[in-house]
Amino acid sequence: MELKNKKWTHDEFYAVRAEVLKQWPTGQDVDFDEAIKYHENIPANRQFAKRLVKAKQNGETLTQPRAGVALIDDHIELLNFLKKEGEADLLPTTIDSYTRQNQYKEAQHGIEESLRAGRSLLNGFPAVNHGVAGVRKVVENVDAPLQVRHGTPDARLLAEITLAGGFTSYEGGGISYNIPYAKSVSLEKTILDWQYCDRLVGIYAEHGIEINREPFGPLTGTLVPPSISHAVAIIEGILAAEQGVKNITLGYGQCGNLIQDVAAIKALEALAEEYFAKHGYTDCVLTTVFHQWMGGFPQDEAKAFAVISWGAAAAALAKATKVIVKTPHEALGIPTKEANAQGLRATKQMINMLRDQPFPLTKEVEAEIEIIKAETRCLLDKVFELGGGDYAVGTVRAFAAGVLDVPFAPSKFNLNKILPARDNNGAVRLFDVGNLPFTQDIIDFHRAKIEERGKAEGRSPSFQMVIDDIYAISNGRLVGRPR
Amino acid sequence: MQKDKVKIILGVIGADCHAVGNKILDHALTAAGFDVVNLGVLVPQKDFVNAAIETDAKAILVASLYGHGEIDCRGLRDMCREAGIGDILLYVGGNLVVGKTDFAAVEAKFKEMGYDRVYAPGTLPDKVIADLKHDLAQRGLLHG
Repeated sequence: MELKNKKWTHDEFYAVRAEVLKQWPTGQDVDFDEAIKYHENIPANRQFAKRLVKAKQNGETLTQPRAGVALIDDHIELLNFLKKEGEADLLPTTIDSYTRQNQYKEAQHGIEESLRAGRSLLNGFPAVNHGVAGVRKVVENVDAPLQVRHGTPDARLLAEITLAGGFTSYEGGGISYNIPYAKSVSLEKTILDWQYCDRLVGIYAEHGIEINREPFGPLTGTLVPPSISHAVAIIEGILAAEQGVKNITLGYGQCGNLIQDVAAIKALEALAEEYFAKHGYTDCVLTTVFHQWMGGFPQDEAKAFAVISWGAAAAALAKATKVIVKTPHEALGIPTKEANAQGLRATKQMINMLRDQPFPLTKEVEAEIEIIKAETRCLLDKVFELGGGDYAVGTVRAFAAGVLDVPFAPSKFNLNKILPARDNNGAVRLFDVGNLPFTQDIIDFHRAKIEERGKAEGRSPSFQMVIDDIYAISNGRLVGRPR
Repeated sequence: MQKDKVKIILGVIGADCHAVGNKILDHALTAAGFDVVNLGVLVPQKDFVNAAIETDAKAILVASLYGHGEIDCRGLRDMCREAGIGDILLYVGGNLVVGKTDFAAVEAKFKEMGYDRVYAPGTLPDKVIADLKHDLAQRGLLHG
């Protein structure tokens, strides 16, 4: 099939669907008409899209953890614990990494080993192996809106099974679940595979079932400048809207400088509304998600709580619709449920204390919003131009040319030419702008910001500065000053 | 001289795609004078072994950050033996198991699996480089 940003026809979709449902035996249990009836009976308080819209109207910031284990009963217990002890508003089901690579045999092996060991040897819930019935057991025993969170380049069968199982939100996208999550899968393939997922959600919408979609905002989670993740988020949002998705949450990962973080969410909301309107997607509800710091964490739990709380503060002050919460075990891998609940409670306390304190739109915040908007427009408009008026085609060409470039990404289809570093105030800037199609003014702005820091530190900017920044927060500060 | 550099294999094992530490280790090990054959992320066991044979590498450095390390890393030493490189240095590091666990227990488990050195989360490249130089020198494999 030729890649273009155009809604798939009925025949195109159903021809591919027949193949998708054969990828693993559990695919045969998916019955779309029956799934529609199942969704019609899901109460409003468990519907992700409705809860987000309500939060947006009320100016709330909802909390959501990441969590998933191998076995169904343990997974139910984990989610209920996070709701009760963590006071989580929204719940996830994080999918294990074998499923993310479509390695269902390995996932089955992981389920069996977990049964034998009496603990989860998988880092998430293998929903494809558990099938529609297993997924519904989770959905029926957890009283909260549920989202699938993963990192799957080809997530078509997973979407079929989890949505038929009653999940009401699905994370991911053809760029954001490729470039940071794959090594050698082409963008043509992932964008097509995600058009399938979006079209599936679109078909649910046409039957009156509203499923929330969320492109993965933080990308590699490592010093990603806001304009890069914003450009990817808005493109994925537009690709989803074209396939008929009506409820979209766009994301951003905390950089750590409060002014930049607040400005980033404001700029993301404004730009998304602007570009959706410009391209005629006017009946789509947009909300935002703020991810607490996605880079390396301090091992000390008290220090980790400070990082978590700072992310909670930034999310609340930016008025993001929801915040994805980290845990005090972040530096050591998958957390216990107790640690996960602690991160949630720390976040909730901070959000509640800040909800009545609007953050002033100072001239510094306004200037930051303007620079993020100007950069993002350079990227989006060039992608559109490269694609001859098509964001899907343009995205493939843009990554090849380095017009879109994600720092520290594993994909060979990412040019890896840009290098980010913090400025003297801790905002993420570009030490090397690579081939990003920025105006000379913007390039000069980044150069000046990095030079200012180099001068303050008495060193010339180099790759060492970038490494120092990557380890800085786990070593106890925001900016990686020379030691 | 280029040809005197010791070759080492670097990669992130299994279905894991954590790339940042891998890129930094590559940079640091190269700067320390090693000839790094970086297989990147999502590397199956057999690719580590094949690369080691093809390049005559003296060490394999395995990373696992996502919690499946216990399943993914088991059997790599046996595969090396079967391929005739049974005594190659095997290092492993990262967040090796699911859940917060006592590191001494994790280290014992992975040493039992045949890894020469096991690194806790947050280990800096300098430590690995120092160990590598020490172990290679002991084996008479490091010149100069």
